[in-house]
Amino acid sequence: MNLYKPEVEAQKFWNPYTQTMPRAELDRLHLRKLQTAIEYAYARSPMYRKLLDRHKVKPEQIRTMDDFVKRLPFVDKKEILDAQAVGPPFGDALAIPEDFFHQRFATSGSTGVPLHIPLTYHSAELWGESWVYVYWAAGLRARHTFYFPFNWGIFAAFWSAYMGVRRLGATVVSGGGLDSKARLRQVEQYRPDVMLATPTYALYLGETAREIGMDLTKTSISHVIVAGEPGGSIPATRHAIEELWGARCYELYGIAELGPTNPGCPLREGVHLCEDWYHALVVDESGNPVPYGDVGEHIVTSYIQDGQPLIKYRTHDLVRWTDRPCGCGTTWLYYPGGVLGRTDHMIIVKGVNVYPSAVEALLHRVAGLSEHYEVHVDRDLTNDFVTVRAEARPDVDTARYAGLGRDAEGVFKSVIGVSIDVTVEPPGSLPRYELKAKRFFDHRPAAHRWQLAGRGDA
Amino acid sequence: MTREETLERIRDLQARVQELRRASDNPAIERTMQLLDLYCHMARWELGDVRAMNPEAEAR
Repeated sequence: MNLYKPEVEAQKFWNPYTQTMPRAELDRLHLRKLQTAIEYAYARSPMYRKLLDRHKVKPEQIRTMDDFVKRLPFVDKKEILDAQAVGPPFGDALAIPEDFFHQRFATSGSTGVPLHIPLTYHSAELWGESWVYVYWAAGLRARHTFYFPFNWGIFAAFWSAYMGVRRLGATVVSGGGLDSKARLRQVEQYRPDVMLATPTYALYLGETAREIGMDLTKTSISHVIVAGEPGGSIPATRHAIEELWGARCYELYGIAELGPTNPGCPLREGVHLCEDWYHALVVDESGNPVPYGDVGEHIVTSYIQDGQPLIKYRTHDLVRWTDRPCGCGTTWLYYPGGVLGRTDHMIIVKGVNVYPSAVEALLHRVAGLSEHYEVHVDRDLTNDFVTVRAEARPDVDTARYAGLGRDAEGVFKSVIGVSIDVTVEPPGSLPRYELKAKRFFDHRPAAHRWQLAGRGDA
Repeated sequence: MTREETLERIRDLQARVQELRRASDNPAIERTMQLLDLYCHMARWELGDVRAMNPEAEAR
Protein backbone atom coordinates (compact mmCIF):
# COMPACT_ATOMS: atom_id res chain seq x y z
CA MET A 1 0.00 0.00 0.00
CA ASN A 2 1.37 3.41 -0.93
CA LEU A 3 0.16 5.08 2.23
CA TYR A 4 2.64 7.95 2.38
CA LYS A 5 3.23 10.72 -0.14
CA PRO A 6 6.55 10.16 -1.97
CA GLU A 7 8.22 13.14 -0.30
CA VAL A 8 7.07 11.87 3.12
CA GLU A 9 8.10 8.29 2.38
CA ALA A 10 11.57 9.60 1.57
CA GLN A 11 11.91 11.19 5.02
CA LYS A 12 14.79 9.75 7.02
CA PHE A 13 13.00 9.92 10.38
CA TRP A 14 9.54 8.90 11.58
CA ASN A 15 9.25 12.07 13.66
CA PRO A 16 11.88 14.50 12.32
CA TYR A 17 10.72 17.19 14.74
CA THR A 18 12.02 15.43 17.85
CA GLN A 19 14.55 13.04 16.32
CA THR A 20 16.72 15.97 15.24
CA MET A 21 15.99 18.27 18.17
CA PRO A 22 19.07 19.79 19.84
CA ARG A 23 19.92 18.14 23.17
CA ALA A 24 19.17 21.19 25.34
CA GLU A 25 15.73 21.54 23.77
CA LEU A 26 15.07 17.82 24.13
CA ASP A 27 15.96 18.02 27.81
CA ARG A 28 13.56 20.93 28.33
CA LEU A 29 10.83 18.93 26.63
CA HIS A 30 11.66 15.90 28.80
CA LEU A 31 11.26 17.99 31.94
CA ARG A 32 7.73 19.00 30.91
CA LYS A 33 6.86 15.38 30.10
CA LEU A 34 8.38 14.11 33.35
CA GLN A 35 6.44 16.67 35.38
CA THR A 36 3.24 15.62 33.62
CA ALA A 37 3.92 11.93 34.26
CA ILE A 38 4.80 12.50 37.93
CA GLU A 39 1.71 14.64 38.59
CA TYR A 40 -0.43 12.00 36.88
CA ALA A 41 1.06 9.12 38.89
CA TYR A 42 0.89 10.96 42.21
CA ALA A 43 -2.74 11.94 41.68
CA ARG A 44 -3.96 8.55 40.52
CA SER A 45 -1.71 5.69 41.64
CA PRO A 46 -1.85 4.83 45.38
CA MET A 47 1.56 3.19 45.05
CA TYR A 48 3.21 6.36 43.73
CA ARG A 49 1.44 8.60 46.24
CA LYS A 50 2.71 6.44 49.12
CA LEU A 51 6.18 6.23 47.62
CA LEU A 52 6.58 9.97 47.11
CA ASP A 53 5.04 10.74 50.51
CA ARG A 54 7.49 8.33 52.10
CA HIS A 55 10.34 10.19 50.42
CA LYS A 56 8.78 13.54 51.39
CA VAL A 57 8.59 14.83 47.84
CA LYS A 58 5.63 16.41 46.05
CA PRO A 59 5.27 16.60 42.27
CA GLU A 60 5.44 20.42 42.33
CA GLN A 61 8.91 20.17 43.90
CA ILE A 62 10.29 18.62 40.70
CA ARG A 63 11.15 21.90 39.01
CA THR A 64 14.43 20.97 37.34
CA MET A 65 16.06 17.88 35.88
CA ASP A 66 18.39 17.94 38.88
CA ASP A 67 15.34 17.68 41.17
CA PHE A 68 14.17 14.71 39.17
CA VAL A 69 17.55 13.00 39.41
CA LYS A 70 18.19 13.71 43.09
CA ARG A 71 14.82 13.86 44.81
CA LEU A 72 12.71 11.22 43.14
CA PRO A 73 13.16 7.61 44.30
CA PHE A 74 13.89 4.69 42.01
CA VAL A 75 11.21 2.08 41.57
CA ASP A 76 11.98 -1.59 41.26
CA LYS A 77 9.92 -4.51 40.01
CA LYS A 78 9.45 -5.70 43.59
CA GLU A 79 7.55 -2.52 44.51
CA ILE A 80 5.19 -2.98 41.58
CA LEU A 81 4.67 -6.62 42.58
CA ASP A 82 4.02 -5.64 46.19
CA ALA A 83 1.53 -2.97 45.08
CA GLN A 84 -0.21 -5.47 42.80
CA ALA A 85 -0.44 -7.96 45.68
CA VAL A 86 -2.60 -5.49 47.65
CA GLY A 87 -5.53 -6.26 45.34
CA PRO A 88 -4.55 -8.65 42.55
CA PRO A 89 -4.01 -8.45 39.73
CA PHE A 90 -3.14 -4.71 39.68
CA GLY A 91 -3.80 -3.39 43.17
CA ASP A 92 -2.21 -0.11 44.22
CA ALA A 93 -0.03 0.13 41.11
CA LEU A 94 -3.03 1.06 39.00
CA ALA A 95 -3.68 4.66 37.93
CA ILE A 96 -6.77 4.22 35.81
CA PRO A 97 -10.17 2.47 36.01
CA GLU A 98 -9.99 -1.03 34.55
CA ASP A 99 -12.63 -0.20 31.93
CA PHE A 100 -9.93 1.80 30.13
CA PHE A 101 -7.92 -1.37 29.55
CA HIS A 102 -7.38 -2.47 26.00
CA GLN A 103 -5.17 -5.47 26.71
CA ARG A 104 -3.56 -7.19 29.67
CA PHE A 105 -0.15 -8.81 29.65
CA ALA A 106 1.93 -10.57 32.25
CA THR A 107 5.51 -11.68 32.62
CA SER A 108 6.22 -15.39 32.91
CA GLY A 109 7.07 -15.21 36.59
CA SER A 110 9.98 -17.56 35.96
CA THR A 111 11.99 -15.75 38.66
CA GLY A 112 9.06 -15.27 41.02
CA VAL A 113 5.51 -13.92 40.82
CA PRO A 114 4.25 -12.78 37.38
CA LEU A 115 4.12 -9.01 36.90
CA HIS A 116 0.80 -7.87 35.43
CA ILE A 117 0.97 -5.25 32.68
CA PRO A 118 -2.17 -3.29 31.77
CA LEU A 119 -2.37 -1.40 28.48
CA THR A 120 -4.96 1.19 27.54
CA TYR A 121 -5.75 1.77 23.86
CA HIS A 122 -3.60 4.89 24.14
CA SER A 123 -0.60 3.03 25.55
CA ALA A 124 -1.01 0.17 23.06
CA GLU A 125 -0.88 2.64 20.17
CA LEU A 126 2.26 4.18 21.60
CA TRP A 127 3.95 0.83 22.21
CA GLY A 128 3.34 0.29 18.54
CA GLU A 129 4.63 3.70 17.62
CA SER A 130 7.84 3.00 19.54
CA TRP A 131 8.58 0.16 17.11
CA VAL A 132 7.93 2.30 14.07
CA TYR A 133 11.13 4.31 14.62
CA VAL A 134 13.22 1.21 13.87
CA TYR A 135 10.96 0.06 11.03
CA TRP A 136 11.19 3.47 9.40
CA ALA A 137 14.96 3.73 9.95
CA ALA A 138 15.38 0.31 8.31
CA GLY A 139 13.57 1.58 5.21
CA LEU A 140 10.37 -0.34 5.89
CA ARG A 141 7.15 1.25 4.78
CA ALA A 142 3.44 0.48 4.49
CA ARG A 143 3.99 -1.66 1.36
CA HIS A 144 6.04 -4.25 3.29
CA THR A 145 4.86 -7.49 4.90
CA PHE A 146 6.02 -8.64 8.34
CA TYR A 147 6.18 -12.27 9.47
CA PHE A 148 5.65 -13.14 13.15
CA PRO A 149 6.83 -16.68 13.99
CA PHE A 150 5.18 -16.77 17.43
CA ASN A 151 2.32 -18.15 19.40
CA TRP A 152 0.33 -15.18 20.63
CA GLY A 153 0.19 -15.63 24.38
CA ILE A 154 -0.14 -13.34 27.38
CA PHE A 155 3.53 -12.31 27.21
CA ALA A 156 3.96 -8.82 25.77
CA ALA A 157 6.92 -10.06 23.67
CA PHE A 158 6.19 -9.31 20.03
CA TRP A 159 2.62 -8.05 20.51
CA SER A 160 3.97 -4.52 20.59
CA ALA A 161 5.86 -5.19 17.35
CA TYR A 162 2.52 -6.19 15.83
CA MET A 163 0.99 -2.96 17.12
CA GLY A 164 3.88 -1.20 15.41
CA VAL A 165 3.15 -2.81 12.06
CA ARG A 166 -0.45 -1.65 12.36
CA ARG A 167 0.75 1.85 13.23
CA LEU A 168 3.08 1.88 10.22
CA GLY A 169 0.23 0.71 8.01
CA ALA A 170 2.01 -2.43 6.75
CA THR A 171 0.86 -6.06 6.51
CA VAL A 172 1.10 -8.83 9.11
CA VAL A 173 1.37 -12.59 8.59
CA SER A 174 1.05 -14.64 11.78
CA GLY A 175 2.94 -17.88 12.29
CA GLY A 176 1.10 -18.64 15.54
CA GLY A 177 0.11 -22.23 16.21
CA LEU A 178 2.68 -23.66 13.80
CA ASP A 179 5.98 -25.44 14.31
CA SER A 180 9.19 -24.10 12.81
CA LYS A 181 8.97 -26.20 9.64
CA ALA A 182 5.41 -25.05 8.94
CA ARG A 183 6.47 -21.46 9.52
CA LEU A 184 9.21 -21.72 6.95
CA ARG A 185 6.74 -23.17 4.48
CA GLN A 186 4.47 -20.21 5.24
CA VAL A 187 7.35 -17.84 4.47
CA GLU A 188 7.66 -19.50 1.06
CA GLN A 189 3.91 -19.19 0.52
CA TYR A 190 3.27 -15.60 1.63
CA ARG A 191 6.66 -14.10 0.70
CA PRO A 192 6.97 -11.61 3.60
CA ASP A 193 9.73 -8.99 3.55
CA VAL A 194 10.48 -8.90 7.27
CA MET A 195 11.08 -11.57 9.91
CA LEU A 196 10.68 -10.57 13.58
CA ALA A 197 12.35 -12.90 16.05
CA THR A 198 14.71 -13.24 18.94
CA PRO A 199 18.30 -13.61 17.68
CA THR A 200 18.27 -17.16 19.01
CA TYR A 201 15.14 -18.11 17.10
CA ALA A 202 16.27 -16.37 13.91
CA LEU A 203 19.36 -18.59 14.04
CA TYR A 204 17.44 -21.68 15.12
CA LEU A 205 15.25 -21.40 12.03
CA GLY A 206 18.50 -21.94 10.13
CA GLU A 207 18.82 -25.40 11.68
CA THR A 208 15.23 -26.17 10.72
CA ALA A 209 15.83 -24.92 7.20
CA ARG A 210 18.83 -27.24 6.86
CA GLU A 211 16.69 -30.20 8.00
CA ILE A 212 14.15 -29.57 5.24
CA GLY A 213 16.71 -28.59 2.63
CA MET A 214 15.67 -24.95 2.44
CA ASP A 215 18.07 -22.11 1.69
CA LEU A 216 16.94 -19.08 3.70
CA THR A 217 18.95 -16.70 1.52
CA LYS A 218 16.60 -17.63 -1.32
CA THR A 219 13.46 -16.59 0.60
CA SER A 220 11.69 -13.24 0.28
CA ILE A 221 13.02 -12.04 3.66
CA SER A 222 15.10 -8.89 3.17
CA HIS A 223 15.05 -7.66 6.78
CA VAL A 224 15.34 -9.51 10.08
CA ILE A 225 14.42 -7.46 13.15
CA VAL A 226 15.53 -9.00 16.41
CA ALA A 227 14.48 -8.25 19.97
CA GLY A 228 14.05 -9.93 23.34
CA GLU A 229 17.71 -10.60 24.01
CA PRO A 230 21.07 -9.05 23.06
CA GLY A 231 22.41 -9.99 19.66
CA GLY A 232 21.40 -7.41 17.09
CA SER A 233 24.13 -5.06 18.26
CA ILE A 234 26.73 -7.80 18.63
CA PRO A 235 28.50 -7.76 15.25
CA ALA A 236 29.24 -11.48 15.13
CA THR A 237 25.65 -12.45 15.95
CA ARG A 238 24.25 -9.90 13.54
CA HIS A 239 26.55 -11.11 10.76
CA ALA A 240 25.56 -14.73 11.44
CA ILE A 241 21.87 -13.81 11.08
CA GLU A 242 22.51 -11.74 7.96
CA GLU A 243 24.55 -14.50 6.36
CA LEU A 244 21.93 -17.12 7.20
CA TRP A 245 19.00 -15.12 5.82
CA GLY A 246 20.75 -13.06 3.14
CA ALA A 247 19.06 -10.08 4.79
CA ARG A 248 19.86 -6.98 6.81
CA CYS A 249 19.48 -7.38 10.57
CA TYR A 250 18.20 -4.61 12.85
CA GLU A 251 17.54 -4.57 16.57
CA LEU A 252 15.05 -3.21 19.06
CA TYR A 253 15.67 -3.30 22.78
CA GLY A 254 12.65 -3.26 25.04
CA ILE A 255 11.51 -4.29 28.49
CA ALA A 256 8.24 -6.19 29.02
CA GLU A 257 6.71 -3.82 31.55
CA LEU A 258 7.96 -0.62 29.84
CA GLY A 259 7.64 -1.48 26.18
CA PRO A 260 9.95 -0.87 23.20
CA THR A 261 12.28 1.69 24.77
CA ASN A 262 15.18 1.65 22.32
CA PRO A 263 14.88 1.33 18.54
CA GLY A 264 18.02 0.15 16.80
CA CYS A 265 20.22 2.67 15.04
CA PRO A 266 20.11 2.26 11.24
CA LEU A 267 23.92 2.03 11.33
CA ARG A 268 23.35 -1.12 13.40
CA GLU A 269 26.11 -0.78 15.97
CA GLY A 270 23.75 0.06 18.83
CA VAL A 271 20.37 1.46 19.82
CA HIS A 272 18.92 4.90 20.48
CA LEU A 273 16.61 5.89 23.32
CA CYS A 274 13.12 6.53 21.98
CA GLU A 275 13.00 10.02 23.42
CA ASP A 276 9.47 10.75 22.22
CA TRP A 277 8.08 8.31 24.77
CA TYR A 278 10.82 7.52 27.27
CA HIS A 279 13.35 9.25 29.47
CA ALA A 280 16.44 7.45 30.73
CA LEU A 281 19.27 7.77 33.19
CA VAL A 282 22.29 5.49 33.42
CA VAL A 283 23.50 5.17 37.01
CA ASP A 284 26.27 3.57 39.01
CA GLU A 285 25.80 1.43 42.11
CA SER A 286 25.45 4.53 44.29
CA GLY A 287 22.53 5.71 42.16
CA ASN A 288 24.42 8.62 40.59
CA PRO A 289 24.25 9.14 36.82
CA VAL A 290 27.47 8.01 35.17
CA PRO A 291 29.14 10.38 32.69
CA TYR A 292 28.33 9.89 29.02
CA GLY A 293 30.57 7.14 27.70
CA ASP A 294 30.35 5.06 30.87
CA VAL A 295 28.42 1.91 31.70
CA GLY A 296 25.71 1.68 34.33
CA GLU A 297 22.19 0.52 35.05
CA HIS A 298 19.47 1.75 32.70
CA ILE A 299 16.77 3.64 34.62
CA VAL A 300 13.72 4.43 32.49
CA THR A 301 10.64 6.61 32.82
CA SER A 302 7.73 5.88 30.51
CA TYR A 303 5.41 8.54 29.12
CA ILE A 304 3.25 5.74 27.76
CA GLN A 305 2.17 3.74 30.79
CA ASP A 306 -0.99 5.57 31.83
CA GLY A 307 -2.45 2.36 33.29
CA GLN A 308 0.45 1.47 35.54
CA PRO A 309 2.96 4.36 35.63
CA LEU A 310 6.66 3.56 35.68
CA ILE A 311 8.90 6.43 36.76
CA LYS A 312 12.64 6.00 37.36
CA TYR A 313 12.12 2.30 36.88
CA ARG A 314 15.09 -0.01 37.40
CA THR A 315 15.55 -2.19 34.34
CA HIS A 316 18.61 -4.04 35.72
CA ASP A 317 20.07 -3.78 32.21
CA LEU A 318 23.63 -2.56 31.80
CA VAL A 319 24.18 -0.05 29.00
CA ARG A 320 26.80 2.45 27.92
CA TRP A 321 25.20 5.76 27.00
CA THR A 322 26.54 8.58 24.92
CA ASP A 323 25.28 11.95 23.69
CA ARG A 324 27.83 12.13 20.90
CA PRO A 325 26.33 12.89 17.48
CA CYS A 326 25.38 9.68 15.73
CA GLY A 327 26.19 9.12 12.08
CA CYS A 328 22.54 8.36 11.41
CA GLY A 329 21.69 11.99 12.11
CA THR A 330 19.45 11.72 15.16
CA THR A 331 20.14 13.63 18.35
CA TRP A 332 18.54 10.93 20.51
CA LEU A 333 20.81 9.28 23.09
CA TYR A 334 22.86 6.42 21.73
CA TYR A 335 23.83 3.14 23.41
CA PRO A 336 26.70 1.56 21.47
CA GLY A 337 26.52 -2.21 21.63
CA GLY A 338 22.92 -2.19 22.90
CA VAL A 339 22.41 -4.02 26.17
CA LEU A 340 25.73 -5.18 27.55
CA GLY A 341 24.30 -7.46 30.21
CA ARG A 342 22.20 -7.53 33.33
CA THR A 343 23.22 -5.97 36.63
CA ASP A 344 22.61 -9.34 38.21
CA HIS A 345 24.78 -10.91 35.50
CA MET A 346 27.73 -8.59 36.10
CA ILE A 347 30.86 -10.69 36.40
CA ILE A 348 34.11 -9.41 37.87
CA VAL A 349 37.06 -11.72 37.30
CA LYS A 350 40.22 -10.52 39.03
CA GLY A 351 39.03 -6.92 38.83
CA VAL A 352 37.99 -7.10 35.17
CA ASN A 353 34.32 -6.53 34.28
CA VAL A 354 33.14 -9.26 31.96
CA TYR A 355 29.81 -8.79 30.18
CA PRO A 356 27.88 -11.80 28.86
CA SER A 357 27.48 -9.97 25.53
CA ALA A 358 31.29 -9.88 25.22
CA VAL A 359 31.45 -13.61 25.85
CA GLU A 360 28.95 -14.18 23.04
CA ALA A 361 30.80 -11.86 20.68
CA LEU A 362 34.12 -13.61 21.32
CA LEU A 363 32.72 -17.12 20.94
CA HIS A 364 31.68 -16.20 17.41
CA ARG A 365 35.35 -15.63 16.58
CA VAL A 366 36.06 -19.32 16.94
CA ALA A 367 35.25 -21.06 13.68
CA GLY A 368 33.55 -24.36 14.41
CA LEU A 369 31.44 -23.17 17.36
CA SER A 370 27.71 -22.62 16.88
CA GLU A 371 25.58 -19.81 18.29
CA HIS A 372 24.37 -22.01 21.16
CA TYR A 373 26.15 -21.56 24.46
CA GLU A 374 25.67 -21.18 28.22
CA VAL A 375 27.65 -19.06 30.64
CA HIS A 376 27.96 -20.38 34.21
CA VAL A 377 29.30 -18.08 36.94
CA ASP A 378 30.39 -19.12 40.40
CA ARG A 379 32.56 -17.62 43.07
CA ASP A 380 35.41 -18.83 45.24
CA LEU A 381 36.64 -16.91 48.28
CA THR A 382 37.79 -13.87 46.36
CA ASN A 383 36.76 -14.01 42.72
CA ASP A 384 34.00 -14.76 40.28
CA PHE A 385 34.94 -17.49 37.86
CA VAL A 386 33.30 -18.38 34.61
CA THR A 387 32.82 -21.53 32.62
CA VAL A 388 31.25 -21.67 29.18
CA ARG A 389 29.45 -24.61 27.58
CA ALA A 390 29.46 -24.16 23.82
CA GLU A 391 28.04 -26.32 21.07
CA ALA A 392 30.11 -27.31 18.05
CA ARG A 393 28.71 -26.86 14.56
CA PRO A 394 27.27 -30.02 12.98
CA ASP A 395 30.14 -30.35 10.48
CA VAL A 396 32.87 -30.45 13.16
CA ASP A 397 34.38 -33.81 14.09
CA THR A 398 34.24 -34.68 17.81
CA ALA A 399 38.01 -35.16 17.79
CA ARG A 400 38.34 -31.39 17.33
CA TYR A 401 36.18 -30.42 20.32
CA ALA A 402 39.02 -30.13 22.85
CA GLY A 403 41.06 -28.02 20.44
CA LEU A 404 38.10 -25.70 19.80
CA GLY A 405 37.70 -25.23 23.55
CA ARG A 406 41.36 -24.28 23.85
CA ASP A 407 40.97 -21.84 20.94
CA ALA A 408 38.04 -20.14 22.67
CA GLU A 409 39.94 -19.97 25.97
CA GLY A 410 42.81 -18.35 24.11
CA VAL A 411 40.51 -15.73 22.60
CA PHE A 412 39.09 -14.85 26.02
CA LYS A 413 42.56 -14.61 27.54
CA SER A 414 43.99 -12.47 24.75
CA VAL A 415 41.02 -10.08 24.35
CA ILE A 416 39.65 -9.57 27.86
CA GLY A 417 42.64 -10.84 29.76
CA VAL A 418 40.87 -13.36 31.93
CA SER A 419 40.77 -17.13 32.08
CA ILE A 420 37.46 -18.70 31.15
CA ASP A 421 37.10 -22.48 30.89
CA VAL A 422 35.31 -23.64 27.77
CA THR A 423 33.83 -27.07 27.19
CA VAL A 424 32.65 -27.94 23.70
CA GLU A 425 29.67 -30.25 23.30
CA PRO A 426 27.89 -31.95 20.39
CA PRO A 427 25.15 -30.16 18.40
CA GLY A 428 21.75 -30.34 20.12
CA SER A 429 23.21 -30.65 23.63
CA LEU A 430 21.83 -27.33 24.84
CA PRO A 431 18.14 -26.36 24.98
CA ARG A 432 16.48 -24.37 22.16
CA TYR A 433 14.12 -21.45 22.76
CA GLU A 434 11.40 -19.77 20.70
CA LEU A 435 11.51 -16.58 22.73
CA LYS A 436 14.21 -15.51 25.16
CA ALA A 437 17.07 -17.97 25.49
CA LYS A 438 18.40 -18.71 28.95
CA ARG A 439 22.15 -18.52 28.57
CA PHE A 440 23.30 -17.15 31.90
CA PHE A 441 23.42 -19.31 35.02
CA ASP A 442 24.51 -17.59 38.18
CA HIS A 443 25.59 -19.82 41.05
CA ARG A 444 27.06 -17.00 43.14
CA PRO A 445 25.77 -15.97 46.58
CA ALA A 446 23.40 -12.98 46.25
CA ALA A 447 25.75 -10.69 48.19
CA HIS A 448 28.25 -10.82 45.35
CA ARG A 449 25.89 -9.46 42.70
CA TRP A 450 25.30 -5.84 41.64
CA GLN A 451 23.58 -3.85 44.42
CA LEU A 452 22.06 -0.46 43.68
CA ALA A 453 22.12 1.39 46.97
CA GLY A 454 22.18 4.88 48.40
CA ARG A 455 20.24 7.98 47.54
CA GLY A 456 16.64 7.58 46.59
CA ASP A 457 16.64 3.80 46.31
CA ALA A 458 13.31 2.85 47.77
CA MET B 1 3.91 23.45 7.04
CA THR B 2 5.52 24.67 10.26
CA ARG B 3 5.10 22.94 13.62
CA GLU B 4 3.00 25.83 14.92
CA GLU B 5 0.69 25.76 11.89
CA THR B 6 0.33 21.99 12.21
CA LEU B 7 -0.46 22.26 15.90
CA GLU B 8 -3.02 24.98 15.34
CA ARG B 9 -4.85 22.79 12.82
CA ILE B 10 -4.71 19.75 15.10
CA ARG B 11 -6.15 21.70 18.05
CA ASP B 12 -8.94 23.06 15.86
CA LEU B 13 -9.65 19.58 14.47
CA GLN B 14 -9.66 18.07 17.96
CA ALA B 15 -12.17 20.62 19.23
CA ARG B 16 -14.51 19.85 16.32
CA VAL B 17 -14.08 16.09 16.79
CA GLN B 18 -14.93 16.39 20.48
CA GLU B 19 -17.99 18.45 19.64
CA LEU B 20 -19.19 15.86 17.12
CA ARG B 21 -18.58 13.04 19.59
CA ARG B 22 -20.80 14.76 22.13
CA ALA B 23 -23.50 15.51 19.55
CA SER B 24 -23.67 12.11 17.83
CA ASP B 25 -26.14 9.42 18.90
CA ASN B 26 -24.60 6.81 16.59
CA PRO B 27 -22.33 4.33 18.46
CA ALA B 28 -20.06 3.82 15.44
CA ILE B 29 -19.57 7.56 15.00
CA GLU B 30 -19.05 8.16 18.71
CA ARG B 31 -16.33 5.49 18.86
CA THR B 32 -14.63 6.80 15.73
CA MET B 33 -14.64 10.36 17.10
CA GLN B 34 -13.25 9.06 20.41
CA LEU B 35 -10.36 7.46 18.54
CA LEU B 36 -9.81 10.60 16.48
CA ASP B 37 -9.66 12.62 19.69
CA LEU B 38 -7.05 10.20 21.04
CA TYR B 39 -4.96 10.45 17.88
CA CYS B 40 -5.11 14.26 18.06
CA HIS B 41 -3.76 13.98 21.62
CA MET B 42 -0.94 11.71 20.40
CA ALA B 43 -0.13 14.04 17.53
CA ARG B 44 0.14 16.98 19.92
CA TRP B 45 2.60 15.07 22.12
CA GLU B 46 4.58 14.08 19.02
CA LEU B 47 5.01 17.79 18.32
CA GLY B 48 5.95 18.60 21.90
CA ASP B 49 2.58 20.08 22.88
CA VAL B 50 2.58 18.29 26.21
CA ARG B 51 -0.44 18.37 28.46
CA ALA B 52 -2.31 15.54 30.17
CA MET B 53 -1.10 11.93 29.96
CA ASN B 54 -4.56 10.61 29.12
CA PRO B 55 -7.11 13.46 29.04
CA GLU B 56 -10.18 11.23 28.91
CA ALA B 57 -9.14 9.28 32.00
CA GLU B 58 -8.16 12.43 33.83
CA ALA B 59 -11.52 14.06 33.08
CA ARG B 60 -13.32 11.39 35.13
